[in-house]
Amino acid sequence: MNVITGLLVATIRMSTPLMLGALGEVFVERTGVMNIAIEGIFLMGAWGGFVGAYLTGKLWAGFLFAILVGIFCGAIYGYFTIKLKQHQIVTGVAINILTVGLGLFLYQLLFGIPLLPLTVEPLKDISIPFLSDIPIIGSALFSQNILTYLAVVLVAVGYWVLFKTPLGLIIRSTGENPEAVDVAGINVERIRFITVLGSSALDGLAGAFYSIGFLGLYTNEIIGGRGWIAFAICFLGNWDPLGILIGSLIFGFAEGLSVVLLTSNFKLIPNEFLIAFPYILTIVATIARRQFNVPAFLGKPYIKERG
Amino acid sequence: MKKNNRDESITVKSELYVKVEDNNFLLNFLPVFSVLFGLLLSGLMMLLLGHNPLIVYSNMLNYAFRDIYNIADIFAKATPLILTGLAFGFAFRASLFNIGAQGQFYIGAVLAVGFALKLSSFPMVLVLFICFTMSLVGGSLWAAFIGYVKARFNANEFLVSMMLTYVAIAVMNFLLGGLLKETKGEYPQTDVIPESGWLPSLIPHTRLHWGFVLALLVALIAYLILWKTSLGYKIRMVGFNRDAARYAGINVEKIFVIVFFISGAFAGIAGFTEVNGMQHMLIEHFNPLIGAEGIGIAILGGAHPLGIVLSAFLFGALKVGGNLVVQTSRIPASIIGITEGLVILSVIFSYFIRDKLIILRSKKKLVSKERKRL
Amino acid sequence: MKDNSDFITLKNITKYFPGTIANDHINFTLGRGEVLALFGENGAGKTTLMSILYGLYQPDEGEIFIEGKRVKIRSPHDAMKYGVGMIHQHFTLVPVHTVVENIILGTESAYLSNINIKKRVKKIKEIGKKYGLEVDPFAFVGQLPVGMQQRVEIIKALYRNAQILIMDEPTSVLTSQETEKLFHFIHDFKAKGHSVIFISHKLNEVMEIADRINVLRDGKIVGDVSRNEATESQLTKMMIGRDLMIPERNSTIFTNHKEMLKIENLTIVGDRKSKAVDDLSFNIKEGEIFGIAGVSGNGQEELAQAICGLRKVKSGHIILSDKEITNKNALSIIQQGVGYIPADRHKEGLVLDMSIEENLFLKNHSDSSFINYGFLNQNKIQQKAKTLMKNFEIKATSPTSKAMTLSGGNQQKVAVAREVNIGSKVLVAVQPTRGLDLGAIDYVHKTLLKEKKEGKAILLISTEFSEIMGLSDRIGVIYRGKLLKIISREDAKVDEIGLLMAGITEGQANEKK
Repeated sequence: MNVITGLLVATIRMSTPLMLGALGEVFVERTGVMNIAIEGIFLMGAWGGFVGAYLTGKLWAGFLFAILVGIFCGAIYGYFTIKLKQHQIVTGVAINILTVGLGLFLYQLLFGIPLLPLTVEPLKDISIPFLSDIPIIGSALFSQNILTYLAVVLVAVGYWVLFKTPLGLIIRSTGENPEAVDVAGINVERIRFITVLGSSALDGLAGAFYSIGFLGLYTNEIIGGRGWIAFAICFLGNWDPLGILIGSLIFGFAEGLSVVLLTSNFKLIPNEFLIAFPYILTIVATIARRQFNVPAFLGKPYIKERG
Repeated sequence: MKKNNRDESITVKSELYVKVEDNNFLLNFLPVFSVLFGLLLSGLMMLLLGHNPLIVYSNMLNYAFRDIYNIADIFAKATPLILTGLAFGFAFRASLFNIGAQGQFYIGAVLAVGFALKLSSFPMVLVLFICFTMSLVGGSLWAAFIGYVKARFNANEFLVSMMLTYVAIAVMNFLLGGLLKETKGEYPQTDVIPESGWLPSLIPHTRLHWGFVLALLVALIAYLILWKTSLGYKIRMVGFNRDAARYAGINVEKIFVIVFFISGAFAGIAGFTEVNGMQHMLIEHFNPLIGAEGIGIAILGGAHPLGIVLSAFLFGALKVGGNLVVQTSRIPASIIGITEGLVILSVIFSYFIRDKLIILRSKKKLVSKERKRL
Repeated sequence: MKDNSDFITLKNITKYFPGTIANDHINFTLGRGEVLALFGENGAGKTTLMSILYGLYQPDEGEIFIEGKRVKIRSPHDAMKYGVGMIHQHFTLVPVHTVVENIILGTESAYLSNINIKKRVKKIKEIGKKYGLEVDPFAFVGQLPVGMQQRVEIIKALYRNAQILIMDEPTSVLTSQETEKLFHFIHDFKAKGHSVIFISHKLNEVMEIADRINVLRDGKIVGDVSRNEATESQLTKMMIGRDLMIPERNSTIFTNHKEMLKIENLTIVGDRKSKAVDDLSFNIKEGEIFGIAGVSGNGQEELAQAICGLRKVKSGHIILSDKEITNKNALSIIQQGVGYIPADRHKEGLVLDMSIEENLFLKNHSDSSFINYGFLNQNKIQQKAKTLMKNFEIKATSPTSKAMTLSGGNQQKVAVAREVNIGSKVLVAVQPTRGLDLGAIDYVHKTLLKEKKEGKAILLISTEFSEIMGLSDRIGVIYRGKLLKIISREDAKVDEIGLLMAGITEGQANEKK
């Protein structure tokens, strides 16, 4: 039973950053913009989180700095794609290339090349009394770190904002028919820019989870494609916060499973397969999921003054 | 309310290669200016470290062209970049996004190294031919899968190609840990492949090999296909206006598969040139950015084979000069990656400037026409 | 005469776009309680001018005055503040959202609060009652018929307290019944002291609804007359700058020519899973123009697509010159001599980024006479392009210029030239003159008549009634996927066809009497 509990705990823990990234992506894609820089911003967030925490000795400072770094990167991405109306995929790829070098560069700028990797004490779990003593699921649900609780709250809030508030209506309309929003007198570019910044803030936070929330150190490979998985979850969750929740849990489970099996002596399935499993799952799900609620104008820059 | 499946999941207008009608000096040389601007920005980063960028850049130039060995190295480094650049650029012409060149590259490399190791007793020509063919086939099939699922299921090719890359990495790591592992058994890498699998050197005592000529040939073939054949015509039409292509009776879905197949073939061949020409073995995590750099080069080169070749030369020079500067000073190696990223961003920025300039000029023309009328 | 203290005045408004002057120093006034028509051809600058008034575009020169005070309208937000509402030609609605969601978009000031749906619905229902514009608030806009969607647009403006409604070509997608209802609303609205600016290129409607008419041509206002003083010929002359000439029709009817295209019991399932075409049958003989009249959205597009192999047919047959072509792919149908002049030439007909040469070659991509071992025979392609450009008087700097540099009329000429060349047996023309200036329209009509003389079977689908009447030998009226009646041109009566287009058959019309 310990294994199952451990698996459940790992599932929910590993789903946290995915949830944050995917939630941000839902909001930004609902306005019609894809945040292709997501993987790079995750990485920059991991860097920012570690640097902030290491230099100040306080974890919350690290997370705050990670959010700011995320917003900064998002501002650059948003400027190029929304204001300059350049290609989203091309710009995103450029930023992803840039951040790989930048993360390492800035790390070495600050710390040089240490013999042993620098570490920080990662987030501790917060156990909610009584509830966390429930057998099997108790520790999984109620003995997580604060970021996990925050993520779930954010998803609930996100759902409310998106479907119950005027802001959410504007956001959804922007992705479906930006012209409708434009003639209603709302600045389409501004809405898109704001959601890009918001999603980038969440991406930064998510990235920091890996460095200071979980592992306690920073390397260039720390994200390893998980930003892309968050991106995929947005699609697979049908651009709906509740769908995101489920999708993140599934992928959190896949990751948790591979970690558990790796550390155990269950060598029946090769390690690499376990590592590849989430990616294969994404491919299968992408193919199978044919009915999409794709925002109608996803990926298209909004050009107002037509000739 | 649930919507019905849309015809295209994501469509983005491709604006990388709008040719300018008038030969305006400024507009045509914009890419060059933006490269310089990117280098300028990177120079600022160097200042942060307390290095004089002017010295750094002049050193880079000096080192890169210091002797035959280094000059040859530029083209050796450019070789796989030309191919992965062609991979992205070719697909881009059909408004398709092959982000998975990295994975196709790895598959090609794995097949090339596998066959080179197993066919050690065969004559060189045969070994090279088989390795080349297998890497081509491996890369193209790995990519054709993407085209197929897009055509058949309207799957998002961006996601699928992204994910397939990670699967390819897993496959490669798995093989490096077992089947292809070196006889010593210490590290996750293969043995050095026997000389029958080595691509002959183009210039003696340098690393430049015949793979470079192959890459140039592939660029030529890409050009011929796109602009001289009816297939290429169809591909470009699908890229410009998918609806009009359908109305013209073109089987758009078939084109998807063919384009990804060819694009993947290019990336797979890059694996062959790197394994059989440069590294002569396969190591874990090697050339991790070749796919992304290929995208950057395709952007720089305006998705045109000639532009791609020239951009690959530029990046090759950056790498060679940059590596030497890094070895002889305290500048970290990551500056090279940063420079590449900044150059690409500057080029993207320049497209914006170019579009604005075009609009401004046509407005000016109109006003002067009006003045003449009055 | 009503109190004509000018409500809105536009002075010296000028707007440039790349390559043209959309509005050329325009002076314009609107009074209270007045219906003013902006009349002119497509591309005359009507929509641009109103977009400036509504804050969507900024003028390059000129000023706007409301009630004598100079104002700056920087966005629709400002325009709505002054009581200006606009109903666009292409609806700015979100199809996947409900009516309520569409109407309240952007009106709530507290962005992060729970929307009180009940209150909003109440207000919407009140407006509906006041002006006779009832609509189901919870229906999904995308599933509403077009007339209803327009209603939602109107309610949107009224919800924001519009005193003036700008309507841009509002009747282009309506049946005559719906048009009547719209005019009823406009009278009502005017009676309550409000004003309407009615943009249209349809002369008869303008004469019916307007108090005053401003005629636009080439970005300038060339006439400002009250309805009482205006005559149709005067307005037409102002609109096009010369007297209208009706193309001379070749009245020879080929009686003993054989059937070229036969449609037999055709049923097609549309995008919305309902029958777009329902057991349709007709035929077209050699040298005949068969016109299909009908409001758009009644199955014409699906029919045309099916004939060209771009859409699957559920049941029935399409027979070309005794050969079955039902459900064959588009390429083989092209190769059998069927040409298709599309409604939306930018989307379906031309590749704007390619050269004129390449566009003319578009449908020959698998034609072996132009291809050697997979390689394109550039010489032959260039030759063909030169010939076609000469024969069809396509004006351009060179065959290698990009198609986007051509004027609208010349672009359509490219599409027409190519399709006429391909369509050796059948030509399917869907809205072939949409958005063209009179010269180009004239040219397309002449071409169709010429091809008819050559013995081709031509299917003409159009919402422009005069076009159908002017060119067709026989006319079929389509409504909800069925052909209600097929009449020869001599027997066709305008009123009857108008009613048929609204789905009212003879029997029903008699009942109503």
